[in-house]
Amino acid sequence: MLAEIGLISTLFAFIAALYAIVASVYGERFAHSRALVTSGRNAVYLNFVLMTVSVISLQIALMTQQYQISYVWSVSSPSMPDFFRFTALWGSQAGSILFWSFLMSAFTAGATFLNWKSQRRLMPYAIAYMMAVVAFFVGVTLFIENPFDRWWILPTGDVVASAFIPVGAVAPSAAQLAETANGLNPLLRHFGMAIHPPMLYLGFVGFVIPFAFAMAALASGDLSTNWIKVSRRWALVAWVFLSLGLILGGRWAYDVLGWGGYWGWDPVENAAFLPWLIGTAYLHSVMIQEKRGMLKTWNMFLVIGTFSAVIFATFATRSGLVDSVHSFARSEIGFPMFAFWFLLTIVSVWLILWRSSRGELKDDHQLKSLFSREALFVLNNFVFIALFVAIFWGSFGAPIISELFMNTNITLGADYFLQVTPPLFILLFILMGVAPVSAWGAASLARMGRAMLIPLALAAASVGLFVVGGVTEIGALFGYGIVLLAGWVAIVETVRGILARQRVHQENLLTSLLALITRNPRRYGGYLIHLGITVIGLGVIGSTLFQQETQQTLAVGETLNIGIYELRYDGFLANQIAEDGRVMDIAELTLFRDGVEVAHLRPRRDFFPEATDMNSMTIAGAHSTVENDFYVILVNWEQISASSATFKVYINPLINLIWWGGLILIVGTMLAGYPRETMPIRVREKLRAVPQGA
Amino acid sequence: MTDLSWGKSAESAAAQKSRSGERIKFLIGGALLLGAVAFLIVSGTMNGARYFITVNDLLASPEEYIGQSVRISGAVDGTTIVYDSSNLIIDFTIADIPEDTTNLALTLHEAVNDPTAARISVHIENQVMPDLLQHEAQAILTGELRADGTFHATELLLKCPSRYEESIPEQVQETGV
Repeated sequence: MLAEIGLISTLFAFIAALYAIVASVYGERFAHSRALVTSGRNAVYLNFVLMTVSVISLQIALMTQQYQISYVWSVSSPSMPDFFRFTALWGSQAGSILFWSFLMSAFTAGATFLNWKSQRRLMPYAIAYMMAVVAFFVGVTLFIENPFDRWWILPTGDVVASAFIPVGAVAPSAAQLAETANGLNPLLRHFGMAIHPPMLYLGFVGFVIPFAFAMAALASGDLSTNWIKVSRRWALVAWVFLSLGLILGGRWAYDVLGWGGYWGWDPVENAAFLPWLIGTAYLHSVMIQEKRGMLKTWNMFLVIGTFSAVIFATFATRSGLVDSVHSFARSEIGFPMFAFWFLLTIVSVWLILWRSSRGELKDDHQLKSLFSREALFVLNNFVFIALFVAIFWGSFGAPIISELFMNTNITLGADYFLQVTPPLFILLFILMGVAPVSAWGAASLARMGRAMLIPLALAAASVGLFVVGGVTEIGALFGYGIVLLAGWVAIVETVRGILARQRVHQENLLTSLLALITRNPRRYGGYLIHLGITVIGLGVIGSTLFQQETQQTLAVGETLNIGIYELRYDGFLANQIAEDGRVMDIAELTLFRDGVEVAHLRPRRDFFPEATDMNSMTIAGAHSTVENDFYVILVNWEQISASSATFKVYINPLINLIWWGGLILIVGTMLAGYPRETMPIRVREKLRAVPQGA
Repeated sequence: MTDLSWGKSAESAAAQKSRSGERIKFLIGGALLLGAVAFLIVSGTMNGARYFITVNDLLASPEEYIGQSVRISGAVDGTTIVYDSSNLIIDFTIADIPEDTTNLALTLHEAVNDPTAARISVHIENQVMPDLLQHEAQAILTGELRADGTFHATELLLKCPSRYEESIPEQVQETGV
């Protein structure tokens, strides 16, 4: 029953999306029929309702264990806890594409609802673009990766998965299906993995809105900053979700994959990082267009580039384009995805070139001073794009080109990325320090220098703290200094704002800070985001340059020493059975710092008796402080008696700053995107007074 | 709109002149930056590039690759895995798999069970036994071929084809549905 409901609602959602495209474009451009365009809008809402029904059907099927549905059968099993039953919705390909389509449909409905009245010219085209993307993904769900397929036994005895009942087929018995059900891949049963995909999808999907409005601007000819105003907040929301998705992915790798790291420069990780790079460049350069009317064509390219990178990342993840730990095995959706990506990019670029050749994307100003804020923003864009090119080349460019044209296969490993990206990241941090104190239009170097004095002094003082803490490498101190400077500039500029207010108003510091933020949430939200990136930067430098590791076999009661730490093996708990059926072998350890007991650690190995392929998983034990993570992996143990066991130990300095920086990012983005009426009431009322259709 | 056109008309001829001077500065600066980034990428590529070859390729012309860092991919034969956990050394054998396959799981299975498939012994040091290192997994290794014919790997990526993929329905059949 659920499978039928899901299938039928998905089919109608597909039809509604197609109708919305045709009705909007035909109604606006050719028939000039308001009624037709309005019916297109209604189809958007209908699409959202139907997609909601589809997703809920699959979700209920998962929660109520309808194992005849092959998707449910392949990602869940009777012993799984409800939480993972819920997250199994995006545990495998078919479900995650349905979920992705649903999110995109929801974003489309939201953007349509909010802008329908204010953006009459843009809306029909924006709807067409958004619905085209939705239709593609819903189409993939329907025709290629259907999560509502069910198992059937044919009269010949073969078992097939099919959406419809094959002639003469019968359903397998529920008991046997339940018994053989796969269960979610053990590696994915982690809190980070449960929410990493939806975060990443929200980030990916969110960029469809800026993209669609940019395309609508090109198609409709309304090339004012309207499309930017409409989509800025969506871009911010998408950006923060994408950032969190990346950070959570790192956290998952760190907790689950057991190699003491969080970023392996794996092609698929890189693929998800690529849209982040262009998206971040876009969020900066769009400010230049708003303030100075410059870089109009460039911004169009960036917004298209971001979405194009999103589709490319999805394609790369799911097509097995390059060898990677993440790649879904080569699947049938590879070619359609590629064709869609190609078509979308070509059409978008053609639209830009067309408008541009008609002179409609001409800039209002030109760059004047090398140290004006717009020049620094252009430089910032340049560095982001350079990073994009370098990472794209290393992950996809070199392997694909060598295979196509050189009849060989060349890959670039982590050492390529570690050589190429640090100088670019350093340049970005320098810009992050300098740009906030520069001025629009032209800037005087002397004034910038004065504004940098205090942050420079503070950065130098904090680097001094690192020296006292025992860091002596010049390169590392330089890195810390650059990163800290960016953070201090953000703080000092905020304090400067508060002091300026204090001179004029009689109010306490907190009131000043709040007033400052409410008056210009974008600026101060932006500074907070910079601070978050600074914190992440410190974590990356510390954990990359100063990781320590050792390994040792210990008998019960023995200890190993690493730095100022001492680790004692206390004993072993074998065959502990957890709620979800996993069997855990746990080593018990006590950690001492300078001879003082600080923590009990329990690294373990989990065994999943029901899983068919990957059936064991190593879970590290960690003691986390601001200073570092003491991270222990249970490598092996003497079977039966467990009188001795082998451990691998990592000390990862400052690594926790990466996760905390992520939290700062969220708060900063919430501030920067905080809704604020920018138009004076007088103007708004005037606008409202304009008769409809004017 | 009005303020923008006003801003334009207010620009004097002198400003125009100084702008062309600025323009040259921007062009030079841009060219330098582009050059620097290009240099970075090219030198990184020279250092980081590795041939990604099959076991067959490697064994067909070992002299070409000995001592050079390459990447190879093969099917893990689970029966050969030897793990020295106190020294963190892993040894195992991989069998050749073709570059292009449509069904990776099947290819891996066939490669491991094909006695005529080319095989190479792999040696890895300082490596905790990965959970994914198991029979018929795909191993992607970075390392070099030594003169004794073993492959000393420094990096190990593992892929189990059905990890993210729906399993084959035969599993329903096998239990006698």
